[in-house]
Amino acid sequence: MSNERKLIAAAKAGSADAFADLVRGYRERLLRFLLTRSPSYADAEDVLQDTLIAAFRYLHSYDPRWRFSTWLYRIAIRNAAKLRGPDLVEIGDLRDEENDPLQQCIADSETDNLWLCARQLLNDEVFAAMWLRYAEDMSVNDISKSLDRSVSWTKVNLMRGRRVLERHMNSGAEKSEAYG
Amino acid sequence: MDKLAKQLRDDAQRIDVSVSDELDRRIDASLRAATPETEVTRPAPVARPPLFWWASTITGIAAAIAVIAIVNWQEPEQQVVPAVDLRATVPPIEFELKAETAMLTAPLQEELDRLQSDLKKAEEKVKRDIGL
Repeated sequence: MSNERKLIAAAKAGSADAFADLVRGYRERLLRFLLTRSPSYADAEDVLQDTLIAAFRYLHSYDPRWRFSTWLYRIAIRNAAKLRGPDLVEIGDLRDEENDPLQQCIADSETDNLWLCARQLLNDEVFAAMWLRYAEDMSVNDISKSLDRSVSWTKVNLMRGRRVLERHMNSGAEKSEAYG
Repeated sequence: MDKLAKQLRDDAQRIDVSVSDELDRRIDASLRAATPETEVTRPAPVARPPLFWWASTITGIAAAIAVIAIVNWQEPEQQVVPAVDLRATVPPIEFELKAETAMLTAPLQEELDRLQSDLKKAEEKVKRDIGL
């Protein structure tokens, strides 16, 4: 039995310490992901806290056929979606540009971070799919489970997202050559 | 790994994020306060002693017998036939009770008498022929 499975079994039995150990490695990764989906840093922290509590409370419903990280991200995505309200407004519409949490976490010298561009060019779901694929190295199947979408939807939108970003990168390279 | 994938991965790592001590404490406190919900499991079926099986079988048979008995207990409905005066509906039959046997035997008697007279005549004729 792997260490993760042992911790899951102990947490299912009610051990908060075991659960804290289990999610310790996921907290920063989840927070980084949630920063891209929250209007403010404080909101991202609140969603992280809610996500971990919900995961602990409903751990009995966790299906071991899933990767634990996939299940955790799914809860995080659902909790973050609550910030969008019943009308499902885009997170960008809720965000204050001066207090953009993602912008705050990127050093001034790296303002050309591709994820900042991706967030402007892609919608929330395609952005999430791209993040889970390239930042979290998830498989297409796990991404489709996390986003509650079909595998074909995930494949198509990953390809679209890639095309948009490649076009953006190429146009940036052409501009720099022209100015150079 | 292609150029785009590599850049996306590297750029994600450059997003500087850390869980603050305050958030860490908040999460720990929330986890300790939370109670995990237990899975609602169906209770395992308990094996019943064979006595229950016999009791239920006997009860079922007794109930079946009782139903059959109740259904058959009811007497068939007596058909109420209105009283009919046969004398009023059927015309009286008059029988001829007088038998006239003489009418039936008279021809035979006459025939017998005739035969006897014929026989007497034949006897006398024979006597006369032989000269007696």
